[in-house]
Amino acid sequence: MKIRRALFKIFGPVILAALLVVAVLIIPFASSGFNHRTIERAAVSQSKNVFKGVAVKQQALTENYVPFMGSSELSRMDSFHPSVLAQHYHRDYRPFLLGAAGSQSLAHYWGMQGVNHELQNKKAVMIVSPQWFVKQGQNPIAFMQYHSNLQTVTWLLQATNNRDDRYAAQRLLDMQVDKADSQLDLMVKKIADGKQLSKADRTYLQLEKNSLANQDRWFSTLSMKNRTDRINKAAGQLPSSPYNVKRLDAIAYEMGDKATTGNQFRVSNKFWNKRLKGNYRKLKGEQKNFNYVQSPEFADFQLVLNQFHKDNMDVMFVIPPVNKRWSQYTGLSMAMLRQFDRKINYQLRSQGFTNIVDLSNDGGEDFFMQDTIHLGWRGWLKVDQHVAPFLEGKYQQPHYQMNDYFYSKQWQDMANSQLNHYLAKN
Amino acid sequence: MKDTVLDILADLTGSDEVKTNLDTELFNSGLLDSMATVQLLLELQTQLGVDVPVSEFERSEWDTPNKIIAKVEELG
Amino acid sequence: MISMQPYQNPTYFLYLTVALLPIMIGLLRGKRYRLYETVISLAFLVLTFGGNVWIQGVSLIGYIIYEVALIFGYFHYRQKKNASWVFYLLVFLAIVPLAIVKLEPVFQLGKISLFSFLGISYLTFKAVQMIMEIRDGAIKEVNLMLTLQFLLFFPTISSGPIDRYRRFIKDYTQVPDQDKYLTMLGKAVHYIFLGFLYKFALAYFFGTVMLPKIQMIALAHHGLSWWVVAYMYCYSMDLFFDFAGYSLFAVGTSYIMGIETPVNFNKPFISKNIKEFWNRWHMTLSLWFRDYIYMRLVFLMMKKRWVKSRVAMANIGYITLFLIMGIWHGLTWYYIVYGIFHACAIIINDMWLRFKKKHRQAIPHNKFTEMFAIFLTFNLVCFSFLIFSGFFDKLYFMH
Repeated sequence: MKIRRALFKIFGPVILAALLVVAVLIIPFASSGFNHRTIERAAVSQSKNVFKGVAVKQQALTENYVPFMGSSELSRMDSFHPSVLAQHYHRDYRPFLLGAAGSQSLAHYWGMQGVNHELQNKKAVMIVSPQWFVKQGQNPIAFMQYHSNLQTVTWLLQATNNRDDRYAAQRLLDMQVDKADSQLDLMVKKIADGKQLSKADRTYLQLEKNSLANQDRWFSTLSMKNRTDRINKAAGQLPSSPYNVKRLDAIAYEMGDKATTGNQFRVSNKFWNKRLKGNYRKLKGEQKNFNYVQSPEFADFQLVLNQFHKDNMDVMFVIPPVNKRWSQYTGLSMAMLRQFDRKINYQLRSQGFTNIVDLSNDGGEDFFMQDTIHLGWRGWLKVDQHVAPFLEGKYQQPHYQMNDYFYSKQWQDMANSQLNHYLAKN
Repeated sequence: MKDTVLDILADLTGSDEVKTNLDTELFNSGLLDSMATVQLLLELQTQLGVDVPVSEFERSEWDTPNKIIAKVEELG
Repeated sequence: MISMQPYQNPTYFLYLTVALLPIMIGLLRGKRYRLYETVISLAFLVLTFGGNVWIQGVSLIGYIIYEVALIFGYFHYRQKKNASWVFYLLVFLAIVPLAIVKLEPVFQLGKISLFSFLGISYLTFKAVQMIMEIRDGAIKEVNLMLTLQFLLFFPTISSGPIDRYRRFIKDYTQVPDQDKYLTMLGKAVHYIFLGFLYKFALAYFFGTVMLPKIQMIALAHHGLSWWVVAYMYCYSMDLFFDFAGYSLFAVGTSYIMGIETPVNFNKPFISKNIKEFWNRWHMTLSLWFRDYIYMRLVFLMMKKRWVKSRVAMANIGYITLFLIMGIWHGLTWYYIVYGIFHACAIIINDMWLRFKKKHRQAIPHNKFTEMFAIFLTFNLVCFSFLIFSGFFDKLYFMH
């Protein structure tokens, strides 16, 4: 008797804890849904947990939210940021910001897993930064911040032996910095090798998915950044309806002018003081050899395009410029940027992605950029000239003709005369 | 024998406390460190002919003057 | 099949629970099912060293045969003779496999070292310890089965804590009485759940959530910045909670098996000086170094009168100890600097303690000075971990 009581005292709480864990993780709960305010906050939070998760995105996509896929420029929330304009002028769409510093094509591809069903026949905006297309492509450490097992599990359950899935699997393995060798990695490896998952694999995945989906539903909205105040404040500085482009552009000019007084490059004072003031001298001529033309990112980008195609999505692409004052100082090659621009345009247009807002020539416009490479005031306003009509207009049934050549090493590395030659020929 | 051990300890710790309180905790109080321990083992060897290899030196069995005396008696 | 690193995921703990249940029931009824325990140990060894890492498993078997042969060979020799050079030769031979593994990355001897497997360092500590105690005559008999159980004790095989042969055998050959065993079970549950908090909450937060972000920003600053300081604290917390969490699992599991494996950490960050820190941090390792390197070296120096001054003797001991510890972590500049840093810290610490002893009246001692001592020690230790992390290598040499 005495032992029994002692044992109960020791293991009672353990058993209780185990039962609770099982209850929380294994039993699939019916989604009760998030409230409207939570989704609103999530849409502008750029939270990594939301990005990695499914539940919030799923619900947002059934409402009037449109994915804005990008990277660090999305956090430049001045008065002309898409989220601010949409709210202030009561547009019937709201941007759902996906991505922040470090998220590139591959992160976005994986971020779409789990919500492909909801993305079917939807519109989206993707801001494609030239800076993604460096020689190493997606940085693995940054990638892992946007990647979750939930994405992998969901993806594995529908993966088959085809070019896209094999490529995605291989790239995911490339990103595993410290070889984890987990059960999941082995399954991903199977897909990369063109093998099939076993029945046991699938059972495991299904269980794992329940548990991860529950965790996502319960925890992903905790600790989101609250940006609604910032958005409201930025919106407060705008004149009320009607929306008048000329007037807004003048305001954007004025705001930009005021915020960039402290330096020769006319980048925002905040950015200048924090990031450049101390070391800008060292950066003079530093970017002479930067190259955005040869990169594995082109193939990763192709993977995203293929997903757009599969989900039958109507997508607008925005290609932002580089602040000209800055690029001249750092020696970034304009010829190289033009080459990048032609290459990415070709990859898009030749496959039927023709809705492109190419701003690459606008880097010299005053206050177009908030800092060195990120859109700001007048730049955002110009983006809005394209985005607003696109999103308020009707969904256009796209006609894409996908071409697997864009996965090839040859395309990834094609540059200079070879590229010119190729583009001229096609 | 007991006096010899206590003399050695007093010498090593630089304190007569070990002679007055035979249950002083030598290690916890910081009176004896690894260095002094090794000296203790050597002194026991040279002065009393008691051979204690480092392996046999289990701190919990040697941490007061009383315990050390008992150990030395046992080994001597 | 894929291998499983100990205590890494829920599945492992599930297997562990199922496997330990019969052992627990047995011990509660005053019995130790040796055969069952052995089978379970083997099963867990296969889980860790089989499957896709079976090459490690083969290395482990080869290594064990080699070390056991050395131990038994030396034991038989020692019954008849006791030449110093034989002893040194045996210690050297016992370390050779580990040395090869540690030197391999530097000299690129080949793609995989013959003896490379998870936990080789910890096994080497155990083997060398046995050889040294055989020489001292402290180990009076060796039994093949017991030696294997000691070396291959699965809860601690990959990263310690490092137990002692005689201590382990005492526990293994007995069954704790019921009251004692119940206390051990209570402790085991406490340890394992504390381990969950440490490893899966705190180490996850510091190591997986925060550290990569901080590292990225710190590296982007190309040189010293406050981010490096943030990295230092974050890395230190990760290092502690990860390792302490792991150690708690290992100790907890041992307790359930009726073996009181020594604990590895005892609130290291409240140490008032570096010496105290090493009595609280990775204790089984630092005690191993104290007992089997430092004390023996000092003993030798004293006996042979190589060095006159006690202070010099202690300092030579410290430098040797920490240099070896640094090299043991790996043959890179930052591990070695880490070792030298700690040797210097402890030498300075000793100087201060001597000074304090002489001027006891002149130096104030109160709550405030104690807090200051803890603060200073904590920061010194964190800085040493920053060196240890290899961050400076990434910051200055890899660009």
